[in-house]
Amino acid sequence: MSAPAIADSVSLDSLQPTLRVEALDHFYGEEDSRNQVLFDNRIEIGPGQLVVMTGPSGAGKTTLLTLVGALRSVQHGRIEVLGQSLSTLGQRELVRMRRNVGFIFQMHNLFDALSAYENVKMAMQLGDRPVAEMRERGTAILDRLGLGNRVDYKPRSLSGGQRQRVAIARALVNRPKLILADEPTAALDRESAHKVVDLLKETTIEQGSTVIMVTHDHRIIEKADRLVHMVDGRIASDVVLHDSMRICEFLKTVDAFQYLTPIELTHVAEKMTKRRFVKGDVVIRQGEAGEEFFLISDGTVEVMREGHDVAALGAGDFFGEGALITGEPRNATVVANDNLDTYVLGKADFGAAIEASRSFRDQLYRAYFLRH
Amino acid sequence: MTATSNFGGERRPVGFVPLAWRNLLANKPRLLRSSGGIGFAVLLMLMQLGFERAFFNASLEVIRLLDGDIFLQRASKYRFATKDPFPRRDLEAARTVPGVVNAWPLYADWHHVFWQNPTNDKNFLVRIFAFDPDQPVLPLPKLEGSPKDLSDLDTGVVDRRARRFLGMDPQPSAAELNGSKIKIIGSFALGPDFENDGTVVIGDRTFAKLLPNSRGGPPDIELGVVRLTPGSDPTTVQQAITAAVPSDIAVLTKAQLLELERKFQADVSSAGPIFVMGTLVGFIVGLLISYQIIYTDVAEQQPQYATMKAMGYRTRYLVQVVLEQAVLSALAGWVPASLVAILLFRIVGEVALLPLHMTLELALVSLLLTVGMCLISAMLAVRRVISTDPAEVF
Repeated sequence: MSAPAIADSVSLDSLQPTLRVEALDHFYGEEDSRNQVLFDNRIEIGPGQLVVMTGPSGAGKTTLLTLVGALRSVQHGRIEVLGQSLSTLGQRELVRMRRNVGFIFQMHNLFDALSAYENVKMAMQLGDRPVAEMRERGTAILDRLGLGNRVDYKPRSLSGGQRQRVAIARALVNRPKLILADEPTAALDRESAHKVVDLLKETTIEQGSTVIMVTHDHRIIEKADRLVHMVDGRIASDVVLHDSMRICEFLKTVDAFQYLTPIELTHVAEKMTKRRFVKGDVVIRQGEAGEEFFLISDGTVEVMREGHDVAALGAGDFFGEGALITGEPRNATVVANDNLDTYVLGKADFGAAIEASRSFRDQLYRAYFLRH
Repeated sequence: MTATSNFGGERRPVGFVPLAWRNLLANKPRLLRSSGGIGFAVLLMLMQLGFERAFFNASLEVIRLLDGDIFLQRASKYRFATKDPFPRRDLEAARTVPGVVNAWPLYADWHHVFWQNPTNDKNFLVRIFAFDPDQPVLPLPKLEGSPKDLSDLDTGVVDRRARRFLGMDPQPSAAELNGSKIKIIGSFALGPDFENDGTVVIGDRTFAKLLPNSRGGPPDIELGVVRLTPGSDPTTVQQAITAAVPSDIAVLTKAQLLELERKFQADVSSAGPIFVMGTLVGFIVGLLISYQIIYTDVAEQQPQYATMKAMGYRTRYLVQVVLEQAVLSALAGWVPASLVAILLFRIVGEVALLPLHMTLELALVSLLLTVGMCLISAMLAVRRVISTDPAEVF
């Protein structure tokens, strides 16, 4: 299997993580009063993730966000946003870069003189949407946030929650690939906060956007895919919370999915279901038709061919893909060694994932048929 | 990335949010205060500029009326309204120059003739003009009565628009000039200027009797009024006359005569600097007021401007919005102030008998000053927008 030939058929852009931070330090002040606020931060965040940042105040969360959002210049280290290194950009390009990022601030900062729609339109004017389509798009997103009957209201005649939702509509209207939010729900009532978080979550799934949010709101943390905790200018922990995120991390290692883009991987992960086996269960049996692909979440299995043990697999390992690719019967039997948690992908969804890249499929077929 | 954005300060396509306009109209009480404040300063400037123009126009009015192409006066005469006459024979020398149809004298006096108000017998210094009634070189505006009758000795016509205290309106039947009785046979409407309260026009014979030459002969001439044959070149004739008359006589076109007077008023008299100072004070008051208004507005919207920067708007765009809003504020102050000025000019012009008018030139000059004033304020206030750090809004 020659990788370069395959890579040609896949857009390189979509393979890139949304955000990559390497060895990032940051200082405030000059000379003697220089004060380091970020220490050697590293993180890589792929598309479609809702990342929640927590940590005590002064931990550097906001500084990191403003650096990532091109609001400050990078001093030491490297930040790549959507494949573009920020440190190499001049002031003018930094301003341009900001147009690819949706900002949601604690304060809504709407223009009192402009209606809800016009405030959203100010953002659309920076995008590439024709003027003729702006009204429709602006109304649609306000409607989506429950402001369909407030489109032409001035901020003064809106409640605090409604104003914040207008600001969120403004941040999301250009469908940015990266959304940075600082305590966006702090000023919201329960219902508004729900609407906002649901919409942000939806953007990550539907548009593959990455949301990085500083919050202490447990209602949001529950929905996060990933939890980054900062202490004293350092990333103290970085935990993948959501199943699909875990699955993605596993799927990356599967040959068959090696050339799927991160978004496509997420889609595959979303379609997998959890299935539990107990000790001694036969997960697949040699000679049967292949219907499913398995990924081990927890526990171990024994792989047997013609009655002999050939391998033992553990968490993060996978099996069952061969029969799905070749269409031949199962070439081995897999038995649970103890209690076993798996993620299962059906034949049709597996096929669809492989179909995602036709030339890749051809390569894959060749590889598998040559092997057998 | 260049092609993906259709905006950001580079250009302003039609159909985009008119932010400056919306900001201006958003807060009606604030708009009212703003146009009131800026308008007040504009009114100050307009009154100064209006009075300045009235002052100049009033002093130039008589020169404009003169019916001639070339004028002779003593070279040492530094302005029109000062007595510095020259002998009659110098004017006669000009008559013989080719291209000259005729040359007639205008007699005048500003300093020596007192008019006695016939209703209260008080004496007032007046301006006197005199000419040959058959050669009316100074056509009088809205003259009622026949100038021919001025050939009778001790007759005169008076200015209906002279200041009230002179008692020239209603037209008296008789009055006294320097103690001698004269018959008032008509009136005209000229009006006072800043130095002269009223004008009496008499025949040359009456003038000679009133202010005889110290040598006893005919009085000296204040201004020689020369008419040219149609089609002759004024410059050539002007040069020929200059050669024909003694060197202490200046030969001027009407434009040069007007310019001499204007220059005197603007540079030599105290009037020019006074009005310039007055206008400047209005301008500075306007600067302070408009700076206060614009700065407050910018400061209030600073978080919004910072957010715009974070969204990817260029500083240039934001500066443009502030300047645009300043120009709109200038207009919002200038329009009502100009309307009030038109009304005030009418009233003050009537009361003070001054030619106060809102002309196109005055409108443009004041508009330019107002816009300039607001733009300077905006440029000072906009520093706050330029220095706004988008990272601070997080």
